[in-house]
Amino acid sequence: MSALLTATDIVAGYLNRPVLHGVSAQVAEGEVLAVIGPNGHGKTTFLHTLSGFLPCRSGTFEFAGRRMENASVHARVEAGLIHVPQGDQLFADMTVEENLLMGAYLVNDGAIVAERFEKVFTLFPKLKDRRNQYASSLSGGERRMVGIGRGLMADAKLIMLDEPSLGLAPLLIEQIYEALGALRAEGRSFLVVEENPSRLMGFADRMCLMDAGRMAWSGTTDEARRSGDILKTYLGGH
Amino acid sequence: MEIAIQILVTGLTMGSMYALAAVGLSLIYGTLGMFNMAHGMFMTLGAYAVFSLASSVGIPLALAIPAAMVAGAIVGILTHLLIVRFMLTSREFETNILVATAGLAILLEDLVLKVYGGYPYPQPVRVEGSFFLGGVSITYQAAIIMGVALLCIGAVAWLLLKTKFGRAIRATAMNRDAARLMGVRTNTIYLQVMALAGALAGVAGLMISTLATLSPQMGGDPLLKAFVICVVAGLGNVWGAGLCAFGLALIESAIGFYFGVRFGFPTMLMLVILVLIWRPLGLFGKERVVRL
Repeated sequence: MSALLTATDIVAGYLNRPVLHGVSAQVAEGEVLAVIGPNGHGKTTFLHTLSGFLPCRSGTFEFAGRRMENASVHARVEAGLIHVPQGDQLFADMTVEENLLMGAYLVNDGAIVAERFEKVFTLFPKLKDRRNQYASSLSGGERRMVGIGRGLMADAKLIMLDEPSLGLAPLLIEQIYEALGALRAEGRSFLVVEENPSRLMGFADRMCLMDAGRMAWSGTTDEARRSGDILKTYLGGH
Repeated sequence: MEIAIQILVTGLTMGSMYALAAVGLSLIYGTLGMFNMAHGMFMTLGAYAVFSLASSVGIPLALAIPAAMVAGAIVGILTHLLIVRFMLTSREFETNILVATAGLAILLEDLVLKVYGGYPYPQPVRVEGSFFLGGVSITYQAAIIMGVALLCIGAVAWLLLKTKFGRAIRATAMNRDAARLMGVRTNTIYLQVMALAGALAGVAGLMISTLATLSPQMGGDPLLKAFVICVVAGLGNVWGAGLCAFGLALIESAIGFYFGVRFGFPTMLMLVILVLIWRPLGLFGKERVVRL
């Protein structure tokens, strides 16, 4: 398997406050990489740096065979790096359908857009009933579905999910991960960030533990399960 | 009956011009989050551009309208490229841009004064004559103003609601970062919005100048009214701004008819104060509920 995304020694952060101190990660095609770790240790900053919101102060970032550490957000989306942000960030005064259409903003072929609508509606049948409802009127679970569905509308080579379970009831988390599992089975690639690794056991191929802006541990999901003690040290017992 | 028609016609004519100005102003506020104090000068320059063209080469009204649009759009684009673009990322953007565009307005007004002088020229591009409707005389010029405004506002509504371009504008207005994540080039959207609002202002300026005369200060009064309309509607609410423009113009025209024109604007302002006491966010303003 060839590497789809390769980040090497990335240093990034906010004005005068570096958050990432040399982070490296790799996602192969068709692979699911999970970045776990306590809150406030740079997971979201890492995704923001990869999607181009934050400048990369040093280090390199290669995506789909192209160097991208200095590319614009637009260029990265065009290359197929799709970021589903934390807290959904829906367009509140647009309908579900319009939100999904925005996801396909760079897709010009109407037939492909229609096909993806079907795909999203099969995955999240609830959204089909809600398609003409405003995003601001949806429940938390429905909004999460729109957020993920919006990411699926694009020409994604890799989808980055920032805490897809955040703030949802356990039953809904299960539904969301069921849908993600179905997408994984199709061979899609994901980079998923979660605070709590327990949901990721059946989903991720590999895991990285991010601590204080560095990757403190990485390995396959099986290894993570076996060396549960390491994770517990960082995340607290579960 | 005749009185009602008279009030309606006057109100709709004024409303058309207010709406052209207010919709553009609201579109800029909604998308960029800036109060464009130079919007009045966008109107003035649209009117003077047509004046220059008409007095040098002589153009018909049908060409004057697109000419005013182009002139307004160019001013909007230049304002964005030379000023707004550099200030967008500043922390105090809202305040800074207010001062910057106010400064630009003064500069442009003085430039117009320098180039054309203060003489109140009549706008050469205008249609004379009138017709009768229900016993009321309506000038062709007023009818044209209403028609053009309706067309322009209809076109903007269609653009915003039905096209991919319009959807990208609305997305940028609602959530700039999310729009960028969809692949929208938000800086280009800002430029396009400035051009669009400039074009609307250009037409508004042309229409205003056909009813009165050209002067370097001609944009001041419509700008003030457009601001009032935007505040009453709820800042950044484009639909509300269009509706309020007509509503307030009709009220102003009725007051003007029954109590005298000089009471029109003060009454309008009083209504605005009452509205804002009752609904601080404007008639169509929404309190945004922030949820995680």
